[in-house]
Amino acid sequence: MITAIGRTVREGVEGVGRAGHFVAESAGATRELRTWLPLATAHARALGVDSLPIALFIALFTGIVLALLASYSFTGAVPLYFVGTLVEKTVTLELAPVLTGLALAGRVGASIAAELGTMRVTEQIDALETLSYDPYAYLVVPRVLAGTVMFPIVVGLAMVVAVAAGWAASILLLDISSVDFVKGMRLFFTDFDVRYGLVKSASFGAAVTLIGCMCGMRARGGAQGVGQGATQAVVYSATTILVLDAFWAVVWLLGKSR
Amino acid sequence: MKRSNDFVVGLTVLLGAAIIIGATLWAQQVDLRKRDEPVLARFRDVGNVRVGASVVLRGVRAGRVERIELGRDGWVELAMRLDPGVQLPRDPVVLLNEASLFGEWQATITEESAIPRDEAVTRQIAEARAAGGNMLPGATLPDIAQLTAVAGRIAGDVASVAGRVEVAFDDQAARELRSSIRNFAAMSATLEQTVRLQSKNLDALSGELRLGMGRLAGSAESVQSVAQRIDSSTSTGQVRHIVDDVATAAARLKETSEEVRAMSRQLTRSQGQLELVLHRSDSVMAKINAGHGSAGLLVNDPALYRNSDSLVTELRSLIADFKANPKKYVNLRIF
Repeated sequence: MITAIGRTVREGVEGVGRAGHFVAESAGATRELRTWLPLATAHARALGVDSLPIALFIALFTGIVLALLASYSFTGAVPLYFVGTLVEKTVTLELAPVLTGLALAGRVGASIAAELGTMRVTEQIDALETLSYDPYAYLVVPRVLAGTVMFPIVVGLAMVVAVAAGWAASILLLDISSVDFVKGMRLFFTDFDVRYGLVKSASFGAAVTLIGCMCGMRARGGAQGVGQGATQAVVYSATTILVLDAFWAVVWLLGKSR
Repeated sequence: MKRSNDFVVGLTVLLGAAIIIGATLWAQQVDLRKRDEPVLARFRDVGNVRVGASVVLRGVRAGRVERIELGRDGWVELAMRLDPGVQLPRDPVVLLNEASLFGEWQATITEESAIPRDEAVTRQIAEARAAGGNMLPGATLPDIAQLTAVAGRIAGDVASVAGRVEVAFDDQAARELRSSIRNFAAMSATLEQTVRLQSKNLDALSGELRLGMGRLAGSAESVQSVAQRIDSSTSTGQVRHIVDDVATAAARLKETSEEVRAMSRQLTRSQGQLELVLHRSDSVMAKINAGHGSAGLLVNDPALYRNSDSLVTELRSLIADFKANPKKYVNLRIF
């Protein structure tokens, strides 16, 4: 048992060390601008623009369900215009970044891990290294930068769509007027809500792409290794998103509320 | 393909950024034109008001709190951005109060004459106004926590009173209370009889009163009739004629009075002259009585009387002789 504990601790430390090394290598590779810059927009389109439909779809139904849940919870006790407050606060601060991040973790993280894993097991990455290409500058940096930039855009649009969906649901499905919903939404709205959500989603984007790249680059064996890498990428990305969510809440929200 | 990617990503980023920024500004109600200056108000304490809180005018949302800053001399300055076209009332003041039970505060702009009759609020308004400057005076109304605290104290006092009542209300007190209730019932019965008796008296009294009122009404009618007559006399000029006659009589009376006063003065003078005459007469009479002078001698000397009497006698006999023998005394010749 002691051996098992020792092995677990060692593997954990090794994992942290590998992750740190990977991040350091990626940061160092950003200097090779000519390598990664031409590839960045292609990855931005693949990770961001192509992810918009699924992100907005999730946001649409999130907003509707939130409005209905709020109305159900507030019946009789709390004024119904607080539905607008709850929808705005919940969407901008939490649900839009986290749900979109989780969805993109599945889509983007798995995609990157599978792609890089395949390149690894088919020795394409080795070939790049042989051709004096830095695999970090060529494969990792454009994806990470594209994810970091495009995640806030996707999440910001998801916020707008979710609040609009909640607004429409309040008018069409609930006994709340448009004026009341807007009043509640504006009641406690500050630009900090949006900034907090966007910064958080940028960190999610960086984490999901970094984890996807790391899991793909570490893939070993054949198709099974690629599948394992994709699965690990999704699991680690989802876990990291939740950890980062808590981190930002403790560091930023807690500090602000004090 | 590469250019297509660049265009799509660029368009998405620009559109996304524009939509996010636009939605944020709209939700924050940011006035980008900023043509109107914000309305400033001064408070000692702004309670739980936050930036973005509603500004209410006559119950209607008319703007939002734009800025809250600490000012000099312990003041807090609050900047409010009003909606376009909103006019401030005459003599405006700003009250900060809770908008709901859920911690939501608002700034209410109202006329000073419409503020609650509360000593603390009035004092805050007066203090803020006395500070001068181009800021509206403001006051903060107590929040629900303060009201709850006061209600809690009242509830505690009520509980204390109830506890004391409970202590005081033992078995003996209950018996005494029952006895008191019985006495009270008896007293009520007595009082009822008295009231019934007094009611009869009051009925009689009211009948008499009614009769008196009837008479009074008759008198009033008579007075009214007299008043009407006077009114009609006044209207035909009779009273005026009477008043003129009285005025004429008074003038004549005044003239007569002046004449009597003149006669009186003449009488006074005549009296003086008469007194002087009497005094002189008295003096003459005294001299006569004293036998001074010819008259005194004539009055007081009997010989003179007798000589006079003898003279008269002889004169009579002379006249008789003259009548009998006129020729003896008269000798008339012609040529």
